[in-house]
Amino acid sequence: MGRALSIVALATLAAGPLHAAGFSIFEQGSKATGMAGAVTAQADDPSMLFYNAGGLAFVEKSDFSVGATWIRSTKADFQGAGVFPGPNYSAEQETLSEFPPHAYWVQPVTNNFKFGLGVETPFGLTTSWKNPNQFAGRFLSTKASLMAFDLNPTIGWRVTPSFGIGVGALVRYSTVELNRHVPTINPFTLQAADIGALKLKGDYSTGYGFNVGLLHRVNESFSWGLSYRSKVTVDYEGDARLTQISTGNAQFDAILRAQLPFNTKLPVKTSIDFPDQASLGLAFGLTRNLMLETDVNWMGWSSFKEVAIDFTGGATNSLPDTTLAQNWEDVYSYRIGLNWTVSPASQVRFGFVYDQTPQPEEGVSPLLPDADRNGFCIGYGHTQGFRYDVGLMYLDFKSRTTNKARPEQGPFFGTYKTRAVLLGVTANF
Amino acid sequence: MHRLKILMGAIALALVLAGAAFAVNTGTADFTTYVALGDSLTAGFSSGSLNRTYQVNSYPALIYRQATGKTTGFEQPLVSEPGLPGILTLASLRPLSIVPSGGSGQPLNLGLQRPYNNMAVPGARLHDLLTKTQSTSANDITDLILRKLGFTQLQQGLSLKPTFVTLWIGNNDALAAATSGIAIPGVTLTPVEQFQADYTAVVNAIASTNAKMALANIPDVTSIPFVTTISRFIVNPATNQPVLINGNPVPLIGPNGPLQAGDFVLLTATAELAQGRGIPTALGGSGLPLSDTSVLSAAEAATIKDYVNNYNAIIAKAASDKNAAFVDTNALLKDLAVNGIHLGGITYGSAFLTGGVFSYDGVHPTAFGYAYIANAFIGAINAKFGGDIPLVDLYPFVFGPLPKRAGKTPPPVVAPAEELTGLVFTAEARRSLLQSLGVPQWIVDGTRRPRPHRGN
Repeated sequence: MGRALSIVALATLAAGPLHAAGFSIFEQGSKATGMAGAVTAQADDPSMLFYNAGGLAFVEKSDFSVGATWIRSTKADFQGAGVFPGPNYSAEQETLSEFPPHAYWVQPVTNNFKFGLGVETPFGLTTSWKNPNQFAGRFLSTKASLMAFDLNPTIGWRVTPSFGIGVGALVRYSTVELNRHVPTINPFTLQAADIGALKLKGDYSTGYGFNVGLLHRVNESFSWGLSYRSKVTVDYEGDARLTQISTGNAQFDAILRAQLPFNTKLPVKTSIDFPDQASLGLAFGLTRNLMLETDVNWMGWSSFKEVAIDFTGGATNSLPDTTLAQNWEDVYSYRIGLNWTVSPASQVRFGFVYDQTPQPEEGVSPLLPDADRNGFCIGYGHTQGFRYDVGLMYLDFKSRTTNKARPEQGPFFGTYKTRAVLLGVTANF
Repeated sequence: MHRLKILMGAIALALVLAGAAFAVNTGTADFTTYVALGDSLTAGFSSGSLNRTYQVNSYPALIYRQATGKTTGFEQPLVSEPGLPGILTLASLRPLSIVPSGGSGQPLNLGLQRPYNNMAVPGARLHDLLTKTQSTSANDITDLILRKLGFTQLQQGLSLKPTFVTLWIGNNDALAAATSGIAIPGVTLTPVEQFQADYTAVVNAIASTNAKMALANIPDVTSIPFVTTISRFIVNPATNQPVLINGNPVPLIGPNGPLQAGDFVLLTATAELAQGRGIPTALGGSGLPLSDTSVLSAAEAATIKDYVNNYNAIIAKAASDKNAAFVDTNALLKDLAVNGIHLGGITYGSAFLTGGVFSYDGVHPTAFGYAYIANAFIGAINAKFGGDIPLVDLYPFVFGPLPKRAGKTPPPVVAPAEELTGLVFTAEARRSLLQSLGVPQWIVDGTRRPRPHRGN
């Protein structure tokens, strides 16, 4: 039953709105979610394959776990400002409800060598604006989505009774879709008009990377862990399609039809450099029942410089190539988590994360409006019989204001406000 | 906590609303009584017409609205639809046909018991500010603004005891030479010494009222589509591509033979081109050359540029001497031609019909163009006087509908519908445009310049 569910979950692989700064999804296990992801120095449940492969070295019995994180945006608003779209303009995103899944299998091979296989959804985003035909930012983006899931086979080696190393391969499957409208100046009105809706889709493509983790359980009351997941580049191939939108003038529409490749497949290539990331965690056993962990997590978002879209359909089936400049920066997030063992069968968890946005002000746009955020977490784990974990995170984005524009796009000034709730549920077998 | 947030939000909203209506920080500038002096560009002339729709969104009207938060108190010589003369519309792209609307608008604010705040007179040259008090020909709409009161634009404007004055004048002292294709120093081009003397007289008169000032300079004529749109090579009307002979494009024939690099064919040449003028008989033309008024030669363009540079030096010096805000429209339009304007993924440029900044007459801005110019003024005024006047929200100028705030709402004037026929720039359209630019009447009429010593 659990496995069947997991297959369904994987088949619907869906990404949510932004939940770790940028389009990273750090919620890959519900135990960890309850502690705001501060588990690098614990890594004692199968989600260790994501958080710190070093923990695999200490696995003593076969374990299987599967779950998903329900991500629900409760608010995603935009209030305009400046010259465009101006203080009288506001807009909203669709509230999204997504279920990025995770599944892990860990298996001891010998006393000191262990094997694990993880399926994770480490990156994803969906930005979808309501009333896309009227949305003032529709020439920048009406809907953007990206999904990435990793197949993550891992080997763990217990080097000493207290020190373990894990090494894994990352096979990343990803797809990306970008939608926007194409504008012109309508010569009959001398105002802006839509001439088409452009949909670009990069089909599922594969990229490769690796991960390593170290875990040192120094003694009963102290351990530390270090985890690294490498950069992965995915090169996508796919199609674009430009669907004509009438300007209201038949003559002008006909001229545009003669000039532009409407309603045909336009082959396209693009590429995304996913960032590498590293975590350092320190876990302290405060009492027999109380475990406190503090983590620093680094993400190398400076890899995300641009999204270059190249049309490869030659003279007839092409549009001009475009490059969406990003120029993100490396950022840190700070996490703290508390695990309170209330009874042998139950644990209660708390967590807090402060996560910085990697996105510069001039890059904030309807395509992907990112912001610093605070996450407040609470979790529960049932550790006997039917074992399961539940983690709940309230994610409060700082409002993000942009008064800067990239010259090639021009002003789209205003303030983005976002809030989301994440509910993770993971079952262990 | 939540209630506190709502309360604080309500207070913030109230402050914002109050701020919009009362408390714009204009720095040391005071817009209590704002007077705009100038020509057709200041009047809000667009698509060959002075028309209420564009007047209420003229750059001075926009500056006033932004600086005061008020929609009343800035009086203009409004004209009802379809304007004076009837506004040009695009009837067809293929064949290209731009025609004036039938009928003409009526003055809506002739009875105002004081001078207008927007005193700009279409067609005015710098010297007219000091001397001209009434219309000098049948098509001249000076009387609409100056109302035969016997006072000049400058006198009427300053009689309001303005606290702030914008002055954008001198365009017709140079631009008229470009749009008429005839650059004659002293005739279509105001001599630099006279420009210097007149400009000094005008800014001194303004300064004597203690009003603060913003002074704008003059654009390069080669940055407007009226001059840049038509290729100097023969174009196949069916394909819109140059006709090639032995792989080379064939230049049109101008008054001095085949057009050379740097020569410009004016938008008004379209009527002649349609008759085959400028095109050799072998290529299906009449073999007759384009007339002098259809071509701006490289030498003429260089002469005009020279004059504009000299005028602009005078304007920049005056701005600095009088501690006035300086609006560099010359740089603004050059930047538009080179880089365009980008807004939320939309690109505006200086192209005719598809650029979105210039109207159907190829010279005057669209409503968007005027709003963009208003923001250039506001930026310069804020920089000089330390204010924080908000820039014009461009949304309605991008997507429409245009703001309609103008105080009184006049009854609509229904114009008889006329059949939309004809080619781009009918004689009528050309006449009204040249009038708006102060081109001498003998050029507008196509007669020879009266020159007694050179008997004809």
